Amino acid sequence: MFKKVLIANRGEIALRIIRVCKQLGIKTVAVYSQADRDSLHVRFADEAVCIGPPPARESYLKVPRIIAAAEITGADAIHPGYGFLAENAPFAEICTTSGIKFIGPTPEMISAMGDKSVAKETMRKAGVPVVPGSESIVRTPDEAREISRAIGYPVIIKASAGGGGRGMRIVREEAELENSYRTAQHEAEQGFSNPDVYIEKYIEQPRHVEIQVFGDEHGNVMHFGERDCSVQRRHQKLIEESPSPVVDDDLRARMGEAALKGCHAVNYVNAGTIEFLVDRDGNFYFMEMNTRIQVEHPVTEQVTGHDLIKLQLRVAGGERLPRKKIVQRGHAIECRINAEDPAADFRPSPGRITDFHMPGGFGVRVDTHAYAGYTVPPYYDSLTAKLVAFAQTREGAINKMAGALEEFVIEGIRTTIPFHRQVMQDERFRSGKFDTSFLETFRFEPPGE
Amino acid sequence: MDLQYVRKLVKLLSESAVDEIEIEEEGTKIRVARNSHGIQVVPAAAYPQVIPQVPASQGMAPTAPPQGVAPSAPPATPEAPPPGLHEIKSPIVGTFYRSPAPDAASFVQVGSVIRPGTVLCIVEAMKLMNEIEADVAGKIVRIMVENGQPVEYDQTLFLVEKA
Repeated sequence: MFKKVLIANRGEIALRIIRVCKQLGIKTVAVYSQADRDSLHVRFADEAVCIGPPPARESYLKVPRIIAAAEITGADAIHPGYGFLAENAPFAEICTTSGIKFIGPTPEMISAMGDKSVAKETMRKAGVPVVPGSESIVRTPDEAREISRAIGYPVIIKASAGGGGRGMRIVREEAELENSYRTAQHEAEQGFSNPDVYIEKYIEQPRHVEIQVFGDEHGNVMHFGERDCSVQRRHQKLIEESPSPVVDDDLRARMGEAALKGCHAVNYVNAGTIEFLVDRDGNFYFMEMNTRIQVEHPVTEQVTGHDLIKLQLRVAGGERLPRKKIVQRGHAIECRINAEDPAADFRPSPGRITDFHMPGGFGVRVDTHAYAGYTVPPYYDSLTAKLVAFAQTREGAINKMAGALEEFVIEGIRTTIPFHRQVMQDERFRSGKFDTSFLETFRFEPPGE
Repeated sequence: MDLQYVRKLVKLLSESAVDEIEIEEEGTKIRVARNSHGIQVVPAAAYPQVIPQVPASQGMAPTAPPQGVAPSAPPATPEAPPPGLHEIKSPIVGTFYRSPAPDAASFVQVGSVIRPGTVLCIVEAMKLMNEIEADVAGKIVRIMVENGQPVEYDQTLFLVEKA
């Protein structure tokens, strides 16, 4: 097992990793920007190295400084957390050539899954269901028509160089196709300097269901069940839960099997998540694979009883995956408490937290780096705390979450706590019958002040 | 500073008859030089192992308090230098060396007169020797770190009385 791990991250995940290292008797090194001097991950690590000024690209993304910090402290492994350099293949490579173990998959796996069309093709060849679509760029309106007929309407035309929900056009019938195709090319040229487009089947009102996977260095792969992350705003997850209300044992088995096929195809190592879209008929399609630990890993931990960060460290240290079958018990929900104002279109709300009181009790977990007197900096993402409620049933978990949210005090900044409280009361959410369009029609009522 | 870029420059130098390459662009300057014994990228091991097992509270500017203590006051800020003195700080993370090689003379001493561009020290990171240059003219009044000591970003290296 490693003697000393450097955490190349900040905030709640850095603290999470430090906690696990303490349990395993591993020394910890925190790196921090000048904006994070008073951060908890800096306080609780055994050593800390300042690596730059506040902006992420001058600090948490500065590879040479992070490697240098590992060298001067004698760290033998680096945990990249999520975001920042977690899926940066050259960084993983540099760790290896510098004699430092990167806690995650290999650079090749990161690259393979980082390129969305390569990832999709890899999965398709492995027998994982993918969203039907053109296998490459669609060059002419005739080609577009032919492909769309084969796939079946509605289809979506996507810019190859696009992303983040931009450069997409939905076409519901053939009469609209040619115009939409030409317009999409024009928009792609304008927006991304590249007119290339491809066509996929448009999955109406899908649910976002992902499978937590793990591989070890001995060729074993396994999965830990699913998480439903359909409550999203502009493709950013806000609420996650496990198990998914629409996944029964049969679908779970089939999705799990598909996920493992995908892992075997790349000999996947360490933690990963395979994201699927699930349509109204229960068909599932590969969307993408994330080659890192995810923000919402706690809901899987609560339901399966496994510490996934600890498993990451063990696997990186050469240990085998657990052999016992994974059993899901109960229901867990996570609410991401962000420093944002839900009454002002979720505008970021950094600043000093003047009062802070976390909820607690049986089945209530809070992962946070915040405290009374802490200043949420404006330079990084707004995630301030993860509140997780666990109970025997989904209804029990929702009620527990509602109570915990009521108890959670964060003053001095705006947070999404009021928003989550309203979602927990929402009939559609409580019924479990919703999809990724849920927040488009959810109306937040600013509480009277 | 892009590491791949630096590697390419080193390669370029070693494959040619050129002795020295210096490139300056957008506020970044890099110089790669060949010495008479071939390209010298001195590995850290060549230096006397002065790197002490420095507990965090000494070696690094504000860091974690002793373990087991619940967070109370934030880490102490370093004492401000005497007024009027200019601080030269490390722009990178690495190991501080006073001289270009273990047996060579130090770049500067207390009392050395410096001007912008004077090489003051080396901070070694990832096997690359980074020369740190003065940004002001003046005289070195105090050297804040020991030879072989690890330094972090923005750590004060020298105190200078400006000319």
